[in-house]
Amino acid sequence: MALKADIKILVVDDMSTMRKIIKNMLTQIGFTNITEADDGATAWPMIENAIKDGKPYEFIVSDWNMPQMSGLDLLKNIRSTPGMEKLPFLMITAEAEQGNVVIAVKAGVSNFIVKPFSAQVLKEKIDRIFNNK
Amino acid sequence: MNILNDPSMKEIVDDFCTEADNLFNQLENSLTIIEADPTNRKELEKFGQVIDRIMGAAKSIGATEIATFCELGKVIGYKSSQVKELPLIEVVTAVLFDSLHMLRKMNQSLRDGNEKCMGQLNTKAFATRLNWLSEKFKDIDRASCEIETKPTNLNQSSIDELMKTLGL
Repeated sequence: MALKADIKILVVDDMSTMRKIIKNMLTQIGFTNITEADDGATAWPMIENAIKDGKPYEFIVSDWNMPQMSGLDLLKNIRSTPGMEKLPFLMITAEAEQGNVVIAVKAGVSNFIVKPFSAQVLKEKIDRIFNNK
Repeated sequence: MNILNDPSMKEIVDDFCTEADNLFNQLENSLTIIEADPTNRKELEKFGQVIDRIMGAAKSIGATEIATFCELGKVIGYKSSQVKELPLIEVVTAVLFDSLHMLRKMNQSLRDGNEKCMGQLNTKAFATRLNWLSEKFKDIDRASCEIETKPTNLNQSSIDELMKTLGL
């Protein structure tokens, strides 16, 4: 499946360094419509408002460990919202403990990516997510 | 990807150094609280969470030594939050204070682009000390974020659901 360049993407990470790196990579891959949020707690109302405005996000890239709302809790909120059960959600972690991966898979994560990663690896993960939809 | 050696990425490296400095202040605050009350497990857990955030970004920009220190600090923070031996917590606190001091110096070297200065910090010897300490907790499994306060075993239907999700 060929992805549109203007697919609406939300990058969620509390570290601005990481948001810049991920945004750079997504731009490098060819995406043009990227918005940032600095925590799950900031991202959640943005996601809700985007739905209300009729322009929902089409892909979420989120860090796991954030101070106010974790990536896991954000994922759970999304999955429990009607119409968002299948919203592609890529979780980023600094390391993937087996138990945590199992919990995230149970919560409905689309895929995992472990830091550090390259634009190529990110692209492969995105392709896999959207080809499995 | 090596952001450190890419002049066009200098802004990202500078951002990292500033963010890391702010988070080091949070870590120092946590350690001060733990030093006053070694029974404060939540603060040790919080220490693990904060240093974990620095680790992820450090790995991503290629600041390997900082990432290694943070990784060891994270393991020690999370694991020590699960022990009850107060004398051990006191040792942990002291070593983590020293680690934090070292991390600040490494971060400053990174900001200044001073590789030579980083070499003079003798980080390997200190990493050995951190490794030794993390070994003290080798019987504790959880070295990452706490997901549930009371872990539950998966029942058959949950396992079946997981397998289905995994496409198995």
